[in-house]
Amino acid sequence: MTYLMRRLATFPLVLLGVSILVFVAIRMVPGDAITAMLGTEAGLLTPQQRQSLAAYFGIDQPWLVQYWRWLLGVFQGNLGISVTYGRPVLDVILERFPLTLELALMSMIIALAVGVPAGIFAATRNERPSDLGVRVIAMIGQSTPSFVLGLLIIYTLSAGFGVLPAMGAFVPLWQDPLRNLGQLILPALTLGFAFAASVTRISRSAMLDVLSDDYVRTARSKGASARSVIWRHALPNALIPVVTLSGIEFGYLLGGAVIVEQVFALPGLGRMVLDAILQRDYALVQGCVLFIAFNFMIINLLVDLAYVLLDPRIRLGEQ
Amino acid sequence: MVYRTGRLLSGIALAAMVGIATVSTQASAATLHMAWSQDATGLDPHKQTAFSSLRLLELVYEPLVRLDAQLQIVPAIADSWQFSKDAKELTFKLNPKAKFQNGAAVTAADVKASFERILDEKTGAAARANFLSIASIDTPDTTTVVFHLSQPDVPILTAMSDVNAAIVPASEIAAGSIGIKAVGSGPFKLDKWDPNAKEVLSANKDWAGGPTGVDGIEISVLPDEASILAAMRAKQVDFALLNDPLVATLVPKEPTLQLNREPVLAYHVLQLNPSRKPMTELKVRQAISCAIDRQEVLDTASLGEGKVTGPLTIPALATDPSALFCYKRDVEKAKKLMAEAGHADGFSATVIGATGEPPTAAAEAQVIQSQLAEIGIKLDIKMMELNVYVDAWLKGDFDMAIALNGGRADPYTMYNRYWTKAGNLQKVANYIDDTLDSLMQKGRVETDPAERKATFGEFEKHLAEVSPWIWLYTSYSYTAQQKNVEGFVPTPTGTLFSLAKVTVKQ
Amino acid sequence: MRMVRAVFSHGSGRIGGAIVGFYLLVAVLGMVGLTPHDPLAQFRIDRLHAPSAAYWMGTDLFGRDVASRLMVGVGQSFIVAFLSVAFASLAGTVLGLAAAWLGRRWDGIVMRVMDVLLAFPAILLALLIVAVAGPGTWTSVVAIGIVYTPIFTRIVRGPALSLKAREFVDAARTFGSSTHYIVTRHLLLNLVAPLTVQVTLALAWALLTEAGLSFLGLGTQPPAASLGLMLSDSRKLMETAPWLMIFPGLAIMISILGFNLLGDALRDILDPRTRRSPA
Repeated sequence: MTYLMRRLATFPLVLLGVSILVFVAIRMVPGDAITAMLGTEAGLLTPQQRQSLAAYFGIDQPWLVQYWRWLLGVFQGNLGISVTYGRPVLDVILERFPLTLELALMSMIIALAVGVPAGIFAATRNERPSDLGVRVIAMIGQSTPSFVLGLLIIYTLSAGFGVLPAMGAFVPLWQDPLRNLGQLILPALTLGFAFAASVTRISRSAMLDVLSDDYVRTARSKGASARSVIWRHALPNALIPVVTLSGIEFGYLLGGAVIVEQVFALPGLGRMVLDAILQRDYALVQGCVLFIAFNFMIINLLVDLAYVLLDPRIRLGEQ
Repeated sequence: MVYRTGRLLSGIALAAMVGIATVSTQASAATLHMAWSQDATGLDPHKQTAFSSLRLLELVYEPLVRLDAQLQIVPAIADSWQFSKDAKELTFKLNPKAKFQNGAAVTAADVKASFERILDEKTGAAARANFLSIASIDTPDTTTVVFHLSQPDVPILTAMSDVNAAIVPASEIAAGSIGIKAVGSGPFKLDKWDPNAKEVLSANKDWAGGPTGVDGIEISVLPDEASILAAMRAKQVDFALLNDPLVATLVPKEPTLQLNREPVLAYHVLQLNPSRKPMTELKVRQAISCAIDRQEVLDTASLGEGKVTGPLTIPALATDPSALFCYKRDVEKAKKLMAEAGHADGFSATVIGATGEPPTAAAEAQVIQSQLAEIGIKLDIKMMELNVYVDAWLKGDFDMAIALNGGRADPYTMYNRYWTKAGNLQKVANYIDDTLDSLMQKGRVETDPAERKATFGEFEKHLAEVSPWIWLYTSYSYTAQQKNVEGFVPTPTGTLFSLAKVTVKQ
Repeated sequence: MRMVRAVFSHGSGRIGGAIVGFYLLVAVLGMVGLTPHDPLAQFRIDRLHAPSAAYWMGTDLFGRDVASRLMVGVGQSFIVAFLSVAFASLAGTVLGLAAAWLGRRWDGIVMRVMDVLLAFPAILLALLIVAVAGPGTWTSVVAIGIVYTPIFTRIVRGPALSLKAREFVDAARTFGSSTHYIVTRHLLLNLVAPLTVQVTLALAWALLTEAGLSFLGLGTQPPAASLGLMLSDSRKLMETAPWLMIFPGLAIMISILGFNLLGDALRDILDPRTRRSPA
């Protein structure tokens, strides 16, 4: 419990760091909301026009004043107004988040459902042809850039069969579950393939590690069956690195999968942040990054807590 | 004319009842599904200048006049217009049927308020620069507007055809809601806008130019153009805007799809910076001009999709580019010019370009790099994110820049920012001489078309010779459509306005 | 030498070693200019030429020889991948050890800073770094390096902490070994295994991240070639000139395969716990 409190106590500090980093970084990038809106036409503005636009976008004050105002707003639960959406940042984020969450969950389910059994299978057949086969497939999965896989899927389906799940007009899960799943299955497979490949590799090597550990050897020498050794003794321990990896990967996916969202035209969090950066929508970038960082930290905390469940020998907070 | 009810089913039922004669008008689909890769960035017609924003806003808002496919000025909100003899007074008669989407009629007061808003520096309208000659605006009655100009200004009429000079309701200006709500007088109402995801437009039944051919337009933002093509193959998209010639040239290979390509006014250009050594020297700039094979740049970077151009891209004014200075590649001459300028061994420079803006930028830079290497110029290519590029460009912080600059239907409006002494973008162009400036002023006040053409012809010839920039080529604007979409008319300005009359046959 | 022999007597190590060795050879040939054609020469008359006797892997949009560019691109990609992973693993190891060894206060500071970097969406972090510093080989190296530093820091700190607490370090201490000796000898030795695995994984990631950066137009600058840039440039020509995607795609896959196989072998050989007899 105290561990949990201590971890949670570091959250504000880290979030503060993230907010300062993103605040400064996005402002250090040349260009601002005015050039984003006007492009080279911004050169036609008079100084006074420029000034009134800067005031409109809220970028006429010194950085420190801007940051302080923004920070005060955050404490009141107000992440600012997005200049592209003309709406509160938090509303915009919460509108896009369900898709990102759903996509991340689907990818993780695919990855775990395929990766863990495949990894265990390969570990039990160490260095035999079937092991090599699994490993090669896993490595192909890990080594294919997601945009290549995504484009190949889209191209094959549309050019070869003239079909494609609806692009663009995204439907939320609660409006039309079937259509929604249809739209998300291909991107989820694209992301899940690489994810599953990592899970396979990690679970295989973790399993091999555990199988050679003393207590498993002991269990074996005491005459436990191979099956029970694997499932009862080895698996829980082998799952620890898998949980770590999945947690981190899931945390990343919650930040949005920029490239896959781009290829499949999904209005997720990743593309939103990318667009916000390109359009110099400072409030939206700051809000999104803070939101993503917060999620990431929560997921990490959950991963650490999961360790305790998997291995009672680990006691948190002793480090 | 029977109004469509908005339901495909009733349209079909009706068609079945009244028979085959009505099929062409009645069997249109309820909604046109459209896709583009870049979304609008905002809704204020006076402030938004991005290509993608204009394409959306042109469907919702209307200016006083419009340009047709031949770039002739045709009525929009105004029925007729007239310049006084000294070209210092411009009078418009408004269409009495014109109505805003909030039901109010478009009056002279709205026109006045709109232009006053553009001219107000607090608005931050970039288009203000085109209307500085407006001294005062009179509204003798509700359908008459008189612009009093401080000096003769012929190009101002063309500038008024831009959606950046759209007429918005005076009431919305007073309420400060321009840019939050889109209330125009155009063919479509914007029902929903989810930035970077989709737009939903419905037909404006009160549109003075109505009725529209479809009941609505649903626009999806598909950021990857390869995905747009895929969606068209799967028949999810009826109509799409494409930017990349590499994708557009695949469209004709599909039996059910049709590609519309239209030469546009925008031009691909290599901007030299004549304030940076050694581009300060005329002979160096000319050598660069002679060393570049414009056709080859076009053939390689754009797969030949376009036409080599001089500074004037407006069809009515353009001259044969092959008569311009060094438009035929001449490496020997280039080498000689380099030697005369004291740079026989060449020099190093950096060329900047924006990633994906245009999509051909990186390819153009690479071809030019390889061509200039032949006369000893070593180019470093620096591709930047668009805004980073714009920032450097506006500051004139580059040796050379690859650019796709927008064109206007009037050469004065198009070039006064660069090639006049008072031009707002002189700090980008960094070159001006008396000849250019006086020819521009002459063209501005000239009303006789033949004289204008001659004046700007001279301007073009001189500009190509002093070579502050190397004009390369104009490309096409591309739209792709299913073959059952009918009635789209592409224009050199790239506008999608004719979607108002497009129908979808079942 | 002992190491090399060990790798080559290991099943997957042999294959992995051979692949990586082959790539290194190709990269070196590309760097010294022993390519079939000049990788930058534009044979514009032969644009988008399918693979043939003259151009083994075809030509690209500019008429440049894909095979030659691939050879140079392998070198470029490997330089970015190796340097960025070297950066990340070095910085991460130093920070992780420092955090573990110096304890409490420093541990807190270092790990919170790493948390900030880790919690920051990776591709955005890279994007911002590139946008601020301008794109280029070195920016890519630093950007990818910084993104992976926290991962290495964590990987080193964890085992370092538990090793620090273990008896044999205490024992070494009581026997009067210097701190320096303890750190290098025991800690590093015990960290080699997790680090090696992470390095090979990170190399693969770095190659892919470089491809991702190129997809967003932020990676290697033209006309230089990298596997990622070639691959992302190819996507719009996928239908017209599939060879532009196939060859760089295969090159990336096989190189990552090589890294992974080699990594697995090294892990088997180095890991003190699982040191199995090389079969």
